[in-house]
Amino acid sequence: MIEVGTELPPLTVTFRREDLVRYAGASGDFNPIHWSDRMAGALGLPGVIAHGMLTMASAVRVVTDWIPDPADLLEYGVRFTKPVVVPDDDKGVNVTFSAKVDKVADGRAEIDITAVAGEEKVLGRARAVVRVQ
Amino acid sequence: MTIDATMVGRSYTAAESYQVGREKIREFAAAIGDPNPAYTGDDAVAPPTFAFMLGSRALEQLLNDEELGLRLDRIVHGAQKFSYTRPIKAGDDIAATATITTVRKAGDVEVIMYETALTTVDGDPIATSTSTISHNRGES
Repeated sequence: MIEVGTELPPLTVTFRREDLVRYAGASGDFNPIHWSDRMAGALGLPGVIAHGMLTMASAVRVVTDWIPDPADLLEYGVRFTKPVVVPDDDKGVNVTFSAKVDKVADGRAEIDITAVAGEEKVLGRARAVVRVQ
Repeated sequence: MTIDATMVGRSYTAAESYQVGREKIREFAAAIGDPNPAYTGDDAVAPPTFAFMLGSRALEQLLNDEELGLRLDRIVHGAQKFSYTRPIKAGDDIAATATITTVRKAGDVEVIMYETALTTVDGDPIATSTSTISHNRGES
């Protein structure tokens, strides 16, 4: 039974430069801001940043790990409010995702997702809608 | 070589459909570090954000529209939303059409919203992707 206020198990992922290269290759998104500090700097960014779509893919895992079937995801949206800077070292950057059920009605549950890197929220208005029994 | 509100409504259809393969789903799931068993095997469904990739050929056409004059290395992805009619599955053959829905300008920065309809090649809806991108036309 899914109820308003239910907190989903949180998830922490680590992004390293290697992960950005792998995501670029798998997704076909070779925007240089995800692999070149020089090109990222030219756009005013502090350094290479993670693909927003990689952060978005990781964030929804909190939901798809929790529901029995990921095919029950009906809607999913985010705003990329802060860039996730990925340092060129072995440690990378940790991003922690948490989520809470905000509304349940008409066979749908609306879930708010929070994504934090360091002290900063990196996604805004991150929300998933899932089909519930 | 600019973009303004008169470009709203322009549509770009990927020249070829995208045939979704089991191994591509597996590769994508590995790249996002997601071990969910739903994303492997003969009955594999694709992770939710796989849908963005299916729109990339239509987006490529939009970026290649010389009248818009957009450059990939000046684009930052601002927001993204998906609505799913059904999950994307291995074996799907998917057509994508991107349509510009909003254009806003703030100095050198252009904020463009476009909607990508993902359908079967017969036109049955699968998912809709709504993207907001910021393009910086300033000198650098």
